[in-house]
Amino acid sequence: AQGAVRGGGGGGGGGSAPAAPKSGGAGAVAAAVAAAVNKPSGDAKELAKEGIKSGSAGIRLHYDDPKAMAKAKKHQVVQRTEGQRKVAWFSHLPQYEREASLSSQLAQRADNDIHPEVLKLGLKFADWLIVGGNRRTVAMLEAFAQVVRDYMPAKDHDTGADLTRHLDARFKPMISYLVACRPLSVGMGNAIRWLKAKIAHIPPTQNIQEAKDGLCAHMEGYIYEHIDLADRIISGHGASKLRDDDVVLVYARSSAVESVLLRAQADGTRFRVIVVDSRPKLEGKQLLKRLHAVGVDCTYIMINALSYVMKEVTKVFLGASGMLSNGHVISRVGTATVAMMAHTSKVPVLVCCETYKFSEKVLLDSICTNELGDPDELQSRELSEWRDVADMKLLNLVYDLTPIDFVTLVITELGNLPPTSVPVVIREYRKEVTL
Amino acid sequence: IQLTAACRPPLLKMPPKQDRDSGSQVVQDFKEWLEKNDKGQAIAVGAINALTKLIKTSDASTIMELEIVLKNAQEQLQRVSFDGQRSKMIQLTAACELFARHVTRTNMDIGDFNVCKSRIIERGEGFAQQADYARDVIAKHALPFFRDGMSILIHGYSNVVLNVLSTAARAGIRFKAICTEGRPDCDGRKTAEALQAAGVPTELLLDPAVAYIMREVDLVLTGAQGVCESGGIINKIGTYQVSVLAKEAQKPLYVAAESYKFCRLYPLSPTDLPDAEKEPAPVVTDGIKVRLPPSDFTPPHHISLLLTDLGILTPSAVSDELIKLYY
Repeated sequence: AQGAVRGGGGGGGGGSAPAAPKSGGAGAVAAAVAAAVNKPSGDAKELAKEGIKSGSAGIRLHYDDPKAMAKAKKHQVVQRTEGQRKVAWFSHLPQYEREASLSSQLAQRADNDIHPEVLKLGLKFADWLIVGGNRRTVAMLEAFAQVVRDYMPAKDHDTGADLTRHLDARFKPMISYLVACRPLSVGMGNAIRWLKAKIAHIPPTQNIQEAKDGLCAHMEGYIYEHIDLADRIISGHGASKLRDDDVVLVYARSSAVESVLLRAQADGTRFRVIVVDSRPKLEGKQLLKRLHAVGVDCTYIMINALSYVMKEVTKVFLGASGMLSNGHVISRVGTATVAMMAHTSKVPVLVCCETYKFSEKVLLDSICTNELGDPDELQSRELSEWRDVADMKLLNLVYDLTPIDFVTLVITELGNLPPTSVPVVIREYRKEVTL
Repeated sequence: IQLTAACRPPLLKMPPKQDRDSGSQVVQDFKEWLEKNDKGQAIAVGAINALTKLIKTSDASTIMELEIVLKNAQEQLQRVSFDGQRSKMIQLTAACELFARHVTRTNMDIGDFNVCKSRIIERGEGFAQQADYARDVIAKHALPFFRDGMSILIHGYSNVVLNVLSTAARAGIRFKAICTEGRPDCDGRKTAEALQAAGVPTELLLDPAVAYIMREVDLVLTGAQGVCESGGIINKIGTYQVSVLAKEAQKPLYVAAESYKFCRLYPLSPTDLPDAEKEPAPVVTDGIKVRLPPSDFTPPHHISLLLTDLGILTPSAVSDELIKLYY
């Protein structure tokens, strides 16, 4: 399955069913999609159908392919209103209008199979109340752990094997619902794949209560090991890279970068920070507040002032939503600009990224897979009537791709690595997914 | 204009440090080895010999104890000041960490303490042989890179590089060597003399003339004091300069280094070096401050290939090997 996914990712640029980095589909689905790329089109439709049925294929679709969309609509848990003014280049990506109430549709469903925790989570995701790769992954895993705990086996179906069979079916519509609320990030996709592998490997004869407890313990362990502990180690490695009198540039808000800077401050290193921010999210303000609260000397600029300050900067620390096998970094839109400016000024760029966000996929641009946010966020006084203007479209991209040439060093819980080592880490440390 | 036969003696002498642990057995063993080392063996061999002896004679009964003993020994060894070999500090650190890593790995593979200990000692004792063998493996791998009629630019004095070139000369390949003078310690002259003795027509070159002759050269060859995680190298001052000029003239730069020089450092700039290699305070001579940085860092994108006993590696493969080792 691993090999198939890699092949699918490579051929995904022009294929009919591109493999997306942010989806949490199972290995079988990925293999189906990958095979679809290589097989003649007749079979591709069959396999694409199979992919859609799995429920997590929300992002795998080309949203401008009417036949595929029609088929997908039958299986989707929540129907969202399509965005009206989509930019042509990004028509293959989902864009939705704001819903008055997402959950009201679910109330009308015959089988209410979305656990209330997951329901709440989806609504929070859709409204951007929980933001950030780590926070979203942790919230998702905690909600799923609750699903597992609340799972009630039917009579005579109380072995591990039954749990394996039924949990998979339970999670499918929930994952599809989360995807419809807001597309999954790379880390979330990897976490879901890990979870499915763990579910598939529950000992079949084990008592169901033990199996459930074991699974929940595994999930807590995953969060602890891959996120909490990883962040602590990353902060240690990152803080050791800071010297007295360094001028550090950071962009938007990354939890890993924040922990590095707080740790360096606690270690007594004398440095100052320049926080770069951009519309519409203005996430840098939150990082600024937290740094200022511990007494870090901060400067705040908007991204258009970047070239002006870059000559004073000695190091740039960036966060990542995901890292690809060719060493490219997926991060909040604007990161690529910051990295490029730093590279031009010969300033080292250090990316802080936990290894659970490493993906086997390969992307060459920010267009094939991305997320489209709400265009109304870009409104201003002058643009308030933008919908009345014919042919006017607003593009609110969420992520962008930073090429490997701009990245000097990746700080992970395994240590300081060159960006070329992403596939090595996946090869050495991801064996559990294929187990 | 003739090149001054007598180079100025090094202006900077390391002040004799108080060896607080001069009584320590491992430091004594290491110093003895240094004095006796007539085969030009690497510092790493001496360090590992001393550490192996330490483990042999230690009465520790658990792996944890052994690891603590090794850690103390490493710190003591790093404090040893050995004249003229200051540049080998990274190798020493890398070798000690490698040995510590082998201890942990062996422990992971074997449960029983005594079996573990004997395996570690076996490995440590075999290391000296392996280290010599490593140089020959590198020479063998490097042979296909040399052809008749080539001009090779060499920077610094490295036993590995000398081994590579003399093996190529013995194999009958006819090439010319140009050595940079390498002030202030003029080790380029030592390299030139050794190559001349091996039958290679050699020329000694003024340091500032590297850009001048770069077009005439086919490839640049250098050793390394330490190979960093990024694939870059820490080496004698001037290596970074030569690498930039080689890149500009599109000539390949090959670095010959044994795998025990791989260390988990990641410098971000030519001056971002570990303390032992950092530039010391300037010395005032005849009323003028003289700066003599001993080493610099060459980033990986200026290096074409690394010739190692693990094979011919690209700079990005160094991290691959380190991850596999430290897994």
